[in-house]
Amino acid sequence: MTHTPPPDAPAAMSLRGLSKRFGSTVAVAGIDLDIPTHSFYGVVGPNGAGKTTTLSMATGLLEPDSGSAFIHGVDMWREPARAKPLVGVLPDGLHTFDRLTGGELISYAGLMRGLDKATVRTRRDDLLAALDLDSAGSTLVTDFSAGMTKKIALACALVHAPRVLILDEPFEAVDPVSAGAIRRILKEFVASGGTVVMSSHVMALVERLCDHVAVVGGGRILAEGTIEEVSDGRDLEQRFVELVGDVSDQRDLSWLRQS
Amino acid sequence: MVATVLRLKFTTVAHQLRREWWRALLLIGGAVWSLTLVPMVWWAQVRLGFESADVRGTILVMAAAVCIVGWIVVPLMVTGLEDTLDPTRFATLGVSARQIAPGLTVAAFLTVPALFFAAMFVVLTGGWRYDGTTARAIATAGSLLTVAVMVLGARVAVAWSARAVNDRRARGLLLLSIGLGIAVLGSVMWVGLRDGLDDGLQYTVPVLSEWLARTPIGAGMYAPAAFVAGDAAGAVWRLAMMAATVGLLAWAWKDSIAHALIHPVHRGGGRRRRADAVLTHASSAPARRWRSGGATRAVRARMLVSWATDARYLVGAAGVVALPVLFFAVAMPVLSLETRWAFVAPVLLASSIGWGRHNDVALDNSGLWLDIVSGSRGRAVMLGRMQAVLVWAVPAVLIAVVGVLAWSGRWADAPGLIGASLGTLGTTMAVGALSSVLLPYRTAGPGDNPFGAEVGSLGASFLAQMVSSIATLIVLPLVTVPFILSLTVHAGWGWVACVTGVTLGAAAFFAGARLSGTVYDRRSGKLIAAVT
Repeated sequence: MTHTPPPDAPAAMSLRGLSKRFGSTVAVAGIDLDIPTHSFYGVVGPNGAGKTTTLSMATGLLEPDSGSAFIHGVDMWREPARAKPLVGVLPDGLHTFDRLTGGELISYAGLMRGLDKATVRTRRDDLLAALDLDSAGSTLVTDFSAGMTKKIALACALVHAPRVLILDEPFEAVDPVSAGAIRRILKEFVASGGTVVMSSHVMALVERLCDHVAVVGGGRILAEGTIEEVSDGRDLEQRFVELVGDVSDQRDLSWLRQS
Repeated sequence: MVATVLRLKFTTVAHQLRREWWRALLLIGGAVWSLTLVPMVWWAQVRLGFESADVRGTILVMAAAVCIVGWIVVPLMVTGLEDTLDPTRFATLGVSARQIAPGLTVAAFLTVPALFFAAMFVVLTGGWRYDGTTARAIATAGSLLTVAVMVLGARVAVAWSARAVNDRRARGLLLLSIGLGIAVLGSVMWVGLRDGLDDGLQYTVPVLSEWLARTPIGAGMYAPAAFVAGDAAGAVWRLAMMAATVGLLAWAWKDSIAHALIHPVHRGGGRRRRADAVLTHASSAPARRWRSGGATRAVRARMLVSWATDARYLVGAAGVVALPVLFFAVAMPVLSLETRWAFVAPVLLASSIGWGRHNDVALDNSGLWLDIVSGSRGRAVMLGRMQAVLVWAVPAVLIAVVGVLAWSGRWADAPGLIGASLGTLGTTMAVGALSSVLLPYRTAGPGDNPFGAEVGSLGASFLAQMVSSIATLIVLPLVTVPFILSLTVHAGWGWVACVTGVTLGAAAFFAGARLSGTVYDRRSGKLIAAVT
């Protein structure tokens, strides 16, 4: 299983001057970022910081206004047919084809990735077992809980064994047992030479799992590097609040007090 | 609470107008168009005044019947018109149906169409001006009650249909009753009008209107006629029945609101499926020219599941029969068209199916990402989608062809009609596929009310529908002209129509899939933003 990535490999993901505006709102204001191969990279930021927009542009889901995104040196927007097979994507806030069962959805993702029937069947069964989704295999996705939907979407991202996993909030709404299973799978993936890029709001989780982190705020990168570099000897959460700024008006909701 | 709900509605409308200025144009356009109809309605009531009370009653009853059918059917057929506040949005606010129902009801009446119909029917009461104040008062009460039946009836119809299509057991029943309703209405129209419009007006309409005048459809409009004829009791019970109907509809509407508040859309119904429908359709053999690749097969398998189970697709599939049935059962007899015109019906069915797919991709808004991240799969996605439509569309069109041929007895025209119908299906599906990637617009999400509109989609849908309609009209002659020649010039053209129709249809189908697939890949970075 262990496989050392080739030296001098280009970064697993490179963003150059990526920007996007929606109407008068600037969602992403020119982001440059290099995510080293074989790293477990956390992208953190407050709500509305532009994390999801950035990851959508990096995965081919949203066309950037300007700038480019490279996956292992392949331009996502110029050569999507070469870049997309390298990536497994778990988008946030988007649902999925809810009329299929969990098993069918994984099969669908596998076939869309060009895998043959026998491989799809084996991987579907492996993924359902590994993510503790056995009973979900025959249930319609529409009847899934939020956590189950997350897990089935993660299974779809993994089915073609990509080189880079780009996961938006993979642990949101997932129970602790399943979260443990997902952590194990992702750690093994990184140990075997893969790269994981993950966005999250939970600093403790990022500190525990990731080796690198980028703090995004107002559509820009506020800090990036290894966890040690960014946290600068302090708690990552403290450092995060320092970087993005605390709530400016900490008003006392006295009327909310019960006595 | 009424004021709060109304303020909410008008604030929402104001925000929409500020964000999307063309909405104001649509609103003003609608209002201006309504106003231009006023002189015509005025002229109608002046003319009505000179008719006998009996004839006047008959005309008004038939007008009310047509308007009521329109109010109930149009929101179900042309989805996306509904802009009254959706009751489910109030679910988290902890209000009861009793609190919000009055506000929502008043809001339903304060729309351009509702106000226009109320004004129009009040103007028409002018027809009773020579029959005294009492007759006029009865006419006004009857007219307003009739408009209330229209507006509330439309709300209840939409609410009940939405409830029914989201319930697996009720869904079959609903589709069956829509089918039966269309068949019954169609045959009644056909029987009533088969001897031409004049005979129908002379014999069938008076009988029909006499019956309708005893139901909540026409009673309100007939009450003044009954009074003028000396039957005061007849006027009283008719108005009482109308008031009771309005009360019943208001109760049903409140009941629907109460149901919506505590029944969030229940989507899957706990159904389980052991067999993997996607993998079963996959093939181990490599793709060939005549055999679709793995991705196309996967998309097709997924779409077949949607066509069989998703309320939005089922409603779309049921809606395609409206135009051909209207043409066959209403337009043909009214215009006294001869037998050969019946051949238009299967062609209309085919083009309704093809045109109806003009926003196909947007219906998958929730899962579109999976297709897009999987690589440049546009052609497979579009071909798979179109193949799944063919699975039910080709049998449906052929059944219509055989039905019309059997009805007309003109079996010799079979080759030409088959060519024209299948050619129409292929070319219009190509138009639909292109439109669905070039001009997609927001639509109801999975599990949403298939009759509801997505806020902000009205203008985009208008543009897409207009462009795809024009494109459909442009391509239709390509496949229908040889068939028309076979009917009008020489029967020999029939075989030409068969060959050209099938060939052009197939060519357009595959070219449409390829071209729309290429556009899909090129626009993949914009598609999700356009439909969510």
